[in-house]
Amino acid sequence: MVETKRKTRDESKGNKGGGQRMRNHTNSNQKKGTKTNKREERRKRTGPRLPNALQREIDLKNPRAPSISDEEIDSDEANDLYEYEEAIPEEQSKKNRRYDPVDNLEYELPDDFKDENIASDDDDEEDDEDVDGARGNQTADNDDEEDDRRHARMLQDITGLPSDAFESKKRKNNAVISEAYPESEYNPSRDVLDGDGRISVQDLLDPLHGKSGFSKVRKNLHRMERKSMSIQAPLPKPDREKLERKVAYEKSKKEITKWEPLVKRNREAPTIYFGEDVELGFSTIGAIASEFEPRTDFEKKIASLVNDNEVAEAHNKDGARLLELNKLSVEDVKDRQDRLAKMRNLLFQHEMKAKRIKKIKSKTYHRLLKKDRLKSAASAIEMDPKAAKELAMKQEFKRAEERLTLKHKNSSKWAKRIIKRGMTVQDEGTRAAISDQLHQHAQLTRKMNSMKDNSTSESSDEDDGDEMSTDSDNDGASKLLEKARQKTHEVLEDDELPKSGVLSLPFMVRGLRKRKEAADEEAKLALQEYESSLQQLKGKSEAESKKMGTLSGRRAFGTESKKVQQSSSKIKSDNFYSNSDSEDDIEVNEDVDVGQGKRNFTHKDVNIDPDLLREDSEVGHDPVFKSFDDIVKDPGPKTTYEVSIFADNSWHKKKNFKESNQKKESEELLNGNADNTSQVLERTLHGQEMEEVDGEGDTDDDGRMVDGVSISSTKSTYELPSQKDLIRSAFAGDDVEEHFEKEKQEILNEENPIPEKPVVLPGWGFWPGQERKRGRKKYDPAEEKRKEDLKKRKDAHLRHVIISEKLDKKAEKLHSKTVPYPYTSKEVFEQSIRMPIGPEFNPATAIGALNRPEVVKKAGVIIKPIQYKDVNPHDAREDHKRSGQRRKNKDSGRAINTMNAKKMKAN
Amino acid sequence: MGARQENGTPRKLASVTEEEIANVTDNEVRKYLRGEGANLEVWTIVVTSWDTLDESPENFMYLQVIQDKKLKGQLAFREELYGKSAKAAAKAEKWLMPTEGGYLDAEGIEKTWRIKQDTIAREVDISSSKKQYDIVLPDFGPYTLDFTSSGRYMAAAGHKGHLAIIDLQNLGVIKELQDEMMLIGVTGIVVNENVEFRGRGTLMYVREAVRDVVFLHNELFFAAAQNKYLYIYNRDGTELHCLKEHGAVLKLQFLKNHFLLASINNFGQLHYQDVTTGEMVNSYRTGLGRSDVLQVNPFNGVIASGHSGGTVNMWKPTSAAPLVKMLCHHGPVTGLAFHPNGHLMATAGMDKKIKLWDLRKFQVLQTLPGHAKTLDFSQKGLLATATGSFIQVLGDFSGSQKYSRYMGHSMAKGYQIQKVSFRPYEDVLGIGHSMGWSSILIPGAGEPNFDSWVANPFETSKQRREKEVRSLLDKLPAEAIMLDPSKIGTVRSARKKEKPTKQEREAEIEAAVAAAKSVLLKKKTKGRNKPSKLVKKRQQGIERAKRPLLEQQMEEELSKKKKRKMSEDNQLPKSLQRFARKTATA
Repeated sequence: MVETKRKTRDESKGNKGGGQRMRNHTNSNQKKGTKTNKREERRKRTGPRLPNALQREIDLKNPRAPSISDEEIDSDEANDLYEYEEAIPEEQSKKNRRYDPVDNLEYELPDDFKDENIASDDDDEEDDEDVDGARGNQTADNDDEEDDRRHARMLQDITGLPSDAFESKKRKNNAVISEAYPESEYNPSRDVLDGDGRISVQDLLDPLHGKSGFSKVRKNLHRMERKSMSIQAPLPKPDREKLERKVAYEKSKKEITKWEPLVKRNREAPTIYFGEDVELGFSTIGAIASEFEPRTDFEKKIASLVNDNEVAEAHNKDGARLLELNKLSVEDVKDRQDRLAKMRNLLFQHEMKAKRIKKIKSKTYHRLLKKDRLKSAASAIEMDPKAAKELAMKQEFKRAEERLTLKHKNSSKWAKRIIKRGMTVQDEGTRAAISDQLHQHAQLTRKMNSMKDNSTSESSDEDDGDEMSTDSDNDGASKLLEKARQKTHEVLEDDELPKSGVLSLPFMVRGLRKRKEAADEEAKLALQEYESSLQQLKGKSEAESKKMGTLSGRRAFGTESKKVQQSSSKIKSDNFYSNSDSEDDIEVNEDVDVGQGKRNFTHKDVNIDPDLLREDSEVGHDPVFKSFDDIVKDPGPKTTYEVSIFADNSWHKKKNFKESNQKKESEELLNGNADNTSQVLERTLHGQEMEEVDGEGDTDDDGRMVDGVSISSTKSTYELPSQKDLIRSAFAGDDVEEHFEKEKQEILNEENPIPEKPVVLPGWGFWPGQERKRGRKKYDPAEEKRKEDLKKRKDAHLRHVIISEKLDKKAEKLHSKTVPYPYTSKEVFEQSIRMPIGPEFNPATAIGALNRPEVVKKAGVIIKPIQYKDVNPHDAREDHKRSGQRRKNKDSGRAINTMNAKKMKAN
Repeated sequence: MGARQENGTPRKLASVTEEEIANVTDNEVRKYLRGEGANLEVWTIVVTSWDTLDESPENFMYLQVIQDKKLKGQLAFREELYGKSAKAAAKAEKWLMPTEGGYLDAEGIEKTWRIKQDTIAREVDISSSKKQYDIVLPDFGPYTLDFTSSGRYMAAAGHKGHLAIIDLQNLGVIKELQDEMMLIGVTGIVVNENVEFRGRGTLMYVREAVRDVVFLHNELFFAAAQNKYLYIYNRDGTELHCLKEHGAVLKLQFLKNHFLLASINNFGQLHYQDVTTGEMVNSYRTGLGRSDVLQVNPFNGVIASGHSGGTVNMWKPTSAAPLVKMLCHHGPVTGLAFHPNGHLMATAGMDKKIKLWDLRKFQVLQTLPGHAKTLDFSQKGLLATATGSFIQVLGDFSGSQKYSRYMGHSMAKGYQIQKVSFRPYEDVLGIGHSMGWSSILIPGAGEPNFDSWVANPFETSKQRREKEVRSLLDKLPAEAIMLDPSKIGTVRSARKKEKPTKQEREAEIEAAVAAAKSVLLKKKTKGRNKPSKLVKKRQQGIERAKRPLLEQQMEEELSKKKKRKMSEDNQLPKSLQRFARKTATA
């Protein structure tokens, strides 16, 4: 190893001599001096050259022959340059024979020298650079050398010792320190200088002899010598890097895996606590202030001043003394202050007011202000004749001006345009503006004295009007009454009956007559009223009573007409219904009328509970609903029927009255009703009809039933049932199941609609004579789907139940649209939310844990990066004891904190 | 004499040892777990090939339900917490519910239903015996009753216009409503000599028929269904509101958690009114005729109405169609009651049957013979039925949902019972009848332990106020009423493809337009990059984006129109219908 090293070093030394020489050296093992070499080359270069190909052939055959590669040729130019620059060394020039002649100038390589073929392009270049760099140095070094030599000579002269003694030392030193010196006769390499030329490892080891570790080094050396192996070529770069990466990965993996349990624990932890052990310290400003310690000079100074007893005392005393010096009495000062404050306040308010008023931009306000000013001016005029005169003059001037300029007589461009366009098309504002202008003109051009007259006349007019109105009020009332009386008289006298048309039909005539009679009665009543009110009026009662009279008169008139109408309608209806019942009906009607006016309690309470009735009618607990057929033969309800007749009658009458307008319908109904009653007798009533009646009758019945509460007048403990109740209860159970099934089918059809089929017109789409084959149904996917859907319904197997499958849109917001993120299955999600976690549903001990957030940290505390901690991955999750323990921690933490503070102080 | 009653005798707390509390059985815990958690370890078997159905393993593939490890960990932790919570709750229950309910114990050949009220009265303590009384008010017709949820106050309404609110703890008549009419001393009418009314109440009329009365959220307010309208009064009898929209109401119900007042009137219209805002939440025509059978399911707030067709319809305020329609009887339904747990419904019909229904399956559990005008379940699940002047209490003592006779009581002959109602937290059954109202003892009826957070019979006024505020804050929206309220929060079933609403459609179009707008247009070379062209191009892009959506909308509208047209064709006047072209059904 050592040898090879040395060789390389030698080689590099050789390089230092110059690029040219080195190249020669490396290419061949020539052992020639630099000088001869150069000459040879020069010779070669000058001579005729072989072609490149030939030269190569020769090189191949005779490798020892000096070959000149292309590169060398290329580098010739550099050599030329180099040569150009090279000067003959001083030693060679032998100008002044200052140098000692040296014998062994040639460097002899050892016998076993083997040249390494390491010349590559890169090296060459590097070397070239080196050479370039070294050249600069060389000259400087040469100078130094010269100095040294002179110095040596001087020493030699003085001491008489050979110059070698000095030089060698120096050179040796040189060689050790730096190898940058170019190799030359005057600067030989060290091994050249030492007789046999080389330093062996032994040489190096010798001085170490007897020192500690020597044997070890020697042993190592021995071993190395014994195991002399060739050095492998270095791996290609990618492979090397790969290896490096691999190692780095292994290492960092090891580094990182130690964190794994810690990270895993944190990941798995339902809650992570940050900065738990951080003690926030003082919580209040007072606590912070009490702990304040002056630290900086400034603070200390201030503290010394503040805490100085003398200062404090002086301050205290001084204040007292100042007060003593004040001779003013407290009252005086207070008075003065008050006064000043008041003044200031007033001033301020006034200022504010002025500001505010100044700011007001409202035109109305300014107009009003102006008006006020004018008013005050007017009053001033009255008081002061001079001012009045002045005003008159002013007015006159204005009038003259107006008459001259006619400024307000629609002569402006704007007004002309407006008028041209026509007033009718203008909007209200414009019209008003125009008229306003005209008015102003009129006012201005009017003579002064006319104003006063006008105002007085107006007031008188008003007075007149007032009187008139009061008079006319009375008169008008009486006139109205008179008119009304006349009209009613007319009505009374006019009893012509129509002779033709529908109204001449006998029953119509009869009806009309009846109506007439009723109307006449009403009219008579009204007449009486009129008379009385007229008398009242004549009796000159007070204004209030007059008013009342007129009012009542009017009201009477109105009511009369209304009543007439009502009664007429009644009569009509009566005629239509039945002849026999008509009188009764009227009675009923009257009753109703009275009832409307007052509250009568004459009606009997006929609220009946069907059950009660049933209970009563059947002594014991015989069920009505043994079976529906049995009812017919059941003797129980007979009594109820009697009652029902009564109830029905009254109801019937009411019906007539109420439904008088819908003649036809009610007639039908009536018929139906009559039928019903008869059918009830025979127990063959049809359910549907009954229902109809039921629905219709409900309201009336209830109204009547509770119209007035009988106050313990009825002695029976319960009320008689109405017929419809009975009927309802009796026949409600008919065909219930069938009905229900039908209903279910309907709902099913609605919720799962039957798929629509294309409309096929008969006769279309088929050839004549071709008939549809029966019994073969076409497969319809829509139909199949419907069937499937129906099967899926919750009520598919429940015959007696319909469960609506309609989606409730309002309730949709209470459900989640999709399964939320971490969950993948609906079931798992639903199971996870089954438990309520609120405080109402859980014991207090469990709420905290159930509702703890994922991260718990103190506000304002910086979260520090994770720190390595040894965690046993197989440990069960430790329970986080939060209460109690933490408090303890807190206390201890505080103690530690104070201790730390003390320590800091001590420091 | 084997009649024993252990009503209201608290077990001594000292007897509850630590050990006893520490031993919580799984059964007790399960009650608080509210069902099973997701099974994290379950592997479902997926059949990979149906060709050869042998049990060779290659035919099956095993899939874990939850593959997400993280989720699994979280769920496991949650379940652990739930378990702890349930266990703690089960333990707390032992502390908090020390009293056991009373019961009747028959010895030998005795039968519980033969035990009369007076024998019970002899056995029980004085305070309990005071709860037996009759109040005879013969002039005011059949009475209906309603208790507050705490069971302390009772509202009684005589059909002929008598309204009274009674504090049952001291039996003082708080206020009876009267116009100006008459004063009757109540004392002396009481049958039980132990009971006496403190103070003289003034008996009053509202001078109208009163069909039903119901307390609102607390005893301060109550609603009375009168002749024409529905009224709300306060405790002092001041009329607060007249709710005309409800019409002539026959039956009232109040939904405590939703603050809804539900009523059914004589036209069979069902109204829901929010009493907090006064808003009429919804009103439907049942279309099933007049009905005076209405009952709210305390579990889910669904209202059930019984009809003359033998059907029971269940309603919620957000849909006009009934949630469930059941054919329960072959005659009109006369009575309806729900078990407090909401899973059991009892119906009575004119067909001489009383039926018990399982509402989870909508199937009959039990059919009992007999009439019942009125039914009521007690807190502990006893079922009281009354018809005529006879009351029967049925009980489920085997725990197998088989109700059998437990007690009986018959009023004086001729009394017509209008309403039976168990008093909460007491072993008392209130009976409203044609001659006043009565109160009898039914051992084991009421819940012996009350939760002062839920209903406190000894509530102070301050507590009441606080509770009012709290319950208002916790008010549930009307939408939350559904058949299974535990389904709230779960994934909605995407059964049908819903048509997008107008808003959704608009949003879709808007999004498309925004996307079209945001497309960056290429910059053209100089001279070609005209702004007018850019605008045009952009506009075109927007149009293109909109078009398919608009087309779809048009299509839908067209189809709708077509449908309407079709239906119009069918709705010709009757006289002309014979000329209508019949759709040829091939």
